[in-house]
Amino acid sequence: MPYVIAGPCIDVNDKACMDECPVDCIYEGGRKSYINPKECIDCGACEPVCPVEAIMQDRKLEDDEKLFAVDNRAFFVEVLPGRDAPLGAPGGSRKVGVLGVDTPFVADWTS
Amino acid sequence: MAGAVLEVDLLLVGAGPVGLYGAYYAGVRGLRTAVIDSLPEPGGQITAMYPEKPIYDVAGFPSVRGRDLVDGLVQQAARYDPTYLLGDSATSVAREPDGRLLVGTTSGAALRCGAVVITGGIGTFTPRPLPAGEELLGRGLAYFVPRLADYAGADVVVVGGGDSACDWTLALLPIARTVTLVHRRKAFRGHAATVDAVLASAATVITDAEVTQLLGADSVDAVQVMVKGEGEPRTLPAQRVVAALGFLADLGPLREWGLELHDNRHVVVDSAMRSTVYGIYAAGDITDYDGKVRLISVGFGEVATAVNNAAVALDPEAHLFPGHSSDSAPAPVTAPAA
Repeated sequence: MPYVIAGPCIDVNDKACMDECPVDCIYEGGRKSYINPKECIDCGACEPVCPVEAIMQDRKLEDDEKLFAVDNRAFFVEVLPGRDAPLGAPGGSRKVGVLGVDTPFVADWTS
Repeated sequence: MAGAVLEVDLLLVGAGPVGLYGAYYAGVRGLRTAVIDSLPEPGGQITAMYPEKPIYDVAGFPSVRGRDLVDGLVQQAARYDPTYLLGDSATSVAREPDGRLLVGTTSGAALRCGAVVITGGIGTFTPRPLPAGEELLGRGLAYFVPRLADYAGADVVVVGGGDSACDWTLALLPIARTVTLVHRRKAFRGHAATVDAVLASAATVITDAEVTQLLGADSVDAVQVMVKGEGEPRTLPAQRVVAALGFLADLGPLREWGLELHDNRHVVVDSAMRSTVYGIYAAGDITDYDGKVRLISVGFGEVATAVNNAAVALDPEAHLFPGHSSDSAPAPVTAPAA
């Protein structure tokens, strides 16, 4: 049950979480960042440092936030705008850098 | 020491809880055993990430503190006196003509092994680098402080916001000339008591600040820091910098060992914990197979399976079952002469 970055991250994208992750599985998109569910080791180091409390375990998401669990996964298995292949499991966000794009779900998000 | 070759029956790669338990069982089977780990202390993820945390799901322990579990495992294995190579990493593996495995290490020592059990967890922990200062690593910049005496009388800048950064700050204050703690956020993440002690101490604490550059030709003589909201960077005189920014885990050289991997990070094993390379087994979080669950207790079972199967592979006359631990003297395995 990986951790998930939900809606409060959008347009804040503080990235305090990225400093904590021992497996570097948090990838920076455009409006928000995304936890790679295949790489997350469930250690929970990211959750307490988010200034807007956007991170939680996927089974603790409220109903209206559950879509973010699907979306965190979609970011890695679907082809993002402007790219030609899915990200997959690159082995650490420092290997791909700032991606600067979001899933269509986040790109179209209005609160 | 470069050039030294250690002969062992079994090498465990990774001295976390699963590697330590494997060393115990290897001893039960009478195997000459070595355990290698890149961290300076045993305990793996527990020691690096949560030594003080109570763990509730280890079989037989309603609650056990991380470091106490590690201490117990070290003590359990100590009866058989395994060789520990700490602060060293397994890098290469090659097959010898007689079928044994020759494992190379970063220290230059090599191990000629009958079998290898990879208990590498989530990979080697390396310190998260300080982006602005890598060229001065070893020339004023360090990620660990092995000897406090090296910091005597110096102006020290400690970078980081967690327990390590706070602990180093407090440890260096009596020895250094000055200590400045620089953290890029406003709040610290460490234990409340440690953070309070730092804030009450003689250390200068600068928050919302990032190290932009380490200045100095042969070694550090100043640290440039950009504080949020200030137009110009500050220049702090310093001869020593300690970057305590946490760890990153990476499988590293194990990826080149010819093992079948899943997601580029897990070693695929069968029910005997054999990898796809003869003589190499794996156990614990690093493994993957249908139905795998990554728990400490599961890893304990897997490493006992791996070691006992390796014992039979080394001596086909041996029994897979090791005997009951309460028997007076389980028969040791005689590994075939190399």
